[in-house]
Amino acid sequence: MRKIISGNEAIAIGAYRANASFASGYPGTPSSEILEYTKTFEDIKVQWASNEKSAFEQALGSSIAGRRSFVTMKHVGLNVAADSLMSSSYTGVNAGFVVVVADDPGMHSSQNEQDTRLFAKFAQVPILEPSDAKEAMGFMQYAFSLSEEYDTPVILRSTTRVSHTQELVYFDMHKLGGMEDKLLAKNISKYVLVPKNALLRHKKLLERNTKLQKLTNEIPLNKMEQGSLNVGIITSGVSYLYAKELLPEANFLKIGLSWPFPIDLAKEFAKNFEKVIVIEELEPYIEEQLKIADIKNVEGKKFFPQDGEFNLDIVEEGLAKASVLEKRHKKYFEVPKNLPLRPPVLCPGCPHRPIFDILHSLRVYVTGDIGCYTLGAAAPLSSIHTTVCMGASISMGYGIAKASQNHKIVSVIGDSTFLHTGIQPLIDAYVNNVAYTVIILDNSITAMTGGQPDAVSGFNIKNEPAPKVDLENLVRSIGIKRVFKVDQYDYKKTKEIIEQEVNTKELSVIIATRPCVLAPIKIKEMPYFVIVDKCIDCKRCLRIGCPAIGYKENKAYIIEDLCTGCGLCAEVCPTLAIVKGESNE
Amino acid sequence: MNKSIIFCGVGGDGIITASNICAVALMRANFDVKKSEVHGMSQRGGSVNAFLVYGKKVYSFLPAKGSLNYMFASEKLEALRNVDYLNPDSKLLVNDRIVPIVGANIDEAQIEESLKSYSLDLKLINFNDLAKQHNMQKAINTIMLGYFSKIIEIDKKYFIRAISDNLSPKLIDINIEAFEIGFNLQ
Repeated sequence: MRKIISGNEAIAIGAYRANASFASGYPGTPSSEILEYTKTFEDIKVQWASNEKSAFEQALGSSIAGRRSFVTMKHVGLNVAADSLMSSSYTGVNAGFVVVVADDPGMHSSQNEQDTRLFAKFAQVPILEPSDAKEAMGFMQYAFSLSEEYDTPVILRSTTRVSHTQELVYFDMHKLGGMEDKLLAKNISKYVLVPKNALLRHKKLLERNTKLQKLTNEIPLNKMEQGSLNVGIITSGVSYLYAKELLPEANFLKIGLSWPFPIDLAKEFAKNFEKVIVIEELEPYIEEQLKIADIKNVEGKKFFPQDGEFNLDIVEEGLAKASVLEKRHKKYFEVPKNLPLRPPVLCPGCPHRPIFDILHSLRVYVTGDIGCYTLGAAAPLSSIHTTVCMGASISMGYGIAKASQNHKIVSVIGDSTFLHTGIQPLIDAYVNNVAYTVIILDNSITAMTGGQPDAVSGFNIKNEPAPKVDLENLVRSIGIKRVFKVDQYDYKKTKEIIEQEVNTKELSVIIATRPCVLAPIKIKEMPYFVIVDKCIDCKRCLRIGCPAIGYKENKAYIIEDLCTGCGLCAEVCPTLAIVKGESNE
Repeated sequence: MNKSIIFCGVGGDGIITASNICAVALMRANFDVKKSEVHGMSQRGGSVNAFLVYGKKVYSFLPAKGSLNYMFASEKLEALRNVDYLNPDSKLLVNDRIVPIVGANIDEAQIEESLKSYSLDLKLINFNDLAKQHNMQKAINTIMLGYFSKIIEIDKKYFIRAISDNLSPKLIDINIEAFEIGFNLQ
């Protein structure tokens, strides 16, 4: 087959060809589409989990049951599953078990840009780094057999530029032979990590490392490419492609299996050159391995940045600094200065918007979380004061409420994030009598990552009807008394309840119930318009930050095809100048 | 020598779909193709772009600044935002419209003047109006692609195939019709 596919699609196809039969994950850009593609294969049982730790352990369990299994997440998701990763490195696996982690250098859609290779080293599990979609497919297949042969979880590390890039790939959909399912493993000394067993497993792990160390120096995934230029480059991932584009005639050591690092191979490579250049995104992982091994003629981060995503211009500049490439004198234009930025915004009709407008007007301190609603921090709503990681809104709100008794604290969290890691701190808040207000923005979908269903959606990844968790019952079952449900489109009532609760010295939970305007169905009602004569240029409607509202010649106007008819602008307009229907103009 | 295209616009515009159709058309025209785009937060109405590189053998997904041959922009301000990828020989197709930015005043005349100030082969056409005339507001980008296929000099039969490959069956006919409208535009 000849087809243009993305890295994420390639990973799913690789898993299919390797006869994987179970997959779980938690959505997170840039990893989300892997399971979206995987669900199209009948032979693979696939599902979304409430968080990465749960997903990781489901897949590990399935591996122990004898089925090739994998789990997908973004880099920060591995932090949540780190506990499981560290110890699964001790237990090892039964059938092949692959942990697919997508890093986001440049933070296109993330809160940090950590480097998963350091996690692999920390947990002592092999990590594979494909450079493009074609490699991602092959590496994924290989990861399963590597996992089985060495009895270890294997990490497949993608990055945004591998996951979301599309390229022409030739492939077939035949499954590889010789991969029968195994029997359920019953082996207490291997899978029960009490200290007595774990001590022995630690020794096994170290023995495994010795074997892997030998493998990594021999495996074709780590390969030398001879060129005619007297320049040696060691690189991995997408950096390889940029370097290859710029210096196709250089000598390359391309790293595909980066932990354990192929140190003997690198020594053999490095001795041929006066100077060896390491090109790697984010952390100086390869460079450090080389320097620890006392390879002296190596430089990397001296020429290349440790932050941000690489591109051709950055790699070219680094190679020029290293004096191996003459910087081209390119003619290109300067982007005009002071061009207004176009930051992402809450969608027209987004049910989060009324909540943030209310919180803004009440001047409360708001702890936020990870999701579309993080955009409530952006001007003009400007009503989120902290965002750190999944679930942190409730726990940080708790800490702030404890420390500053006189301030009004509100935590906002989405349904998916609440189920991910928000429940635990809410329980803590209840049993420790912390008084503040938690607003669960229940739009019944994981919206930010593209509308994946979660436990309150009522359908699953395959779009089949599924049981759903009742958030109100869940919260009440903790013991919390003050639980309210509101419809955000009923602005007055919602404001009344939020105002009442922030002024009550008790823990309360408000569940805002309007569904997402985009998923699972796109909601579009009759649009609103501005009666020009009634508009007094107070700009109140502009302060809700709706992209469907424009401003021209001292009057607000509504862009008809963007307006979804939510009516928030009409609610806040003091002169009733905004009404439903089509303008006569 | 490889060639490259930038597709740029506002999140939700359909930039990704347009670039997908173009990528498949180029594959059908027997080029090696690599495409790169940014997902995530920018889909919520932010700036979006996608790069497409094609030729005999492509390594890097991303082109270097100043190296792009063509631009397909669904909005003027976003076209201007990406001019650093262009050079004096680049050819541009830009939809003649501005999408407002929350909290910002945009001087439309200034944007247009600025865009024209580069010695570029610039085609500025209001495809929204054109689409409205034909009652095809949902296929604006496909109309643009019809016109764009002539700029990049790729036979339209590859695009027609790519539209059939990429879109759901109920959208194919209308999009082929839209493509033809763009293609026949003088």
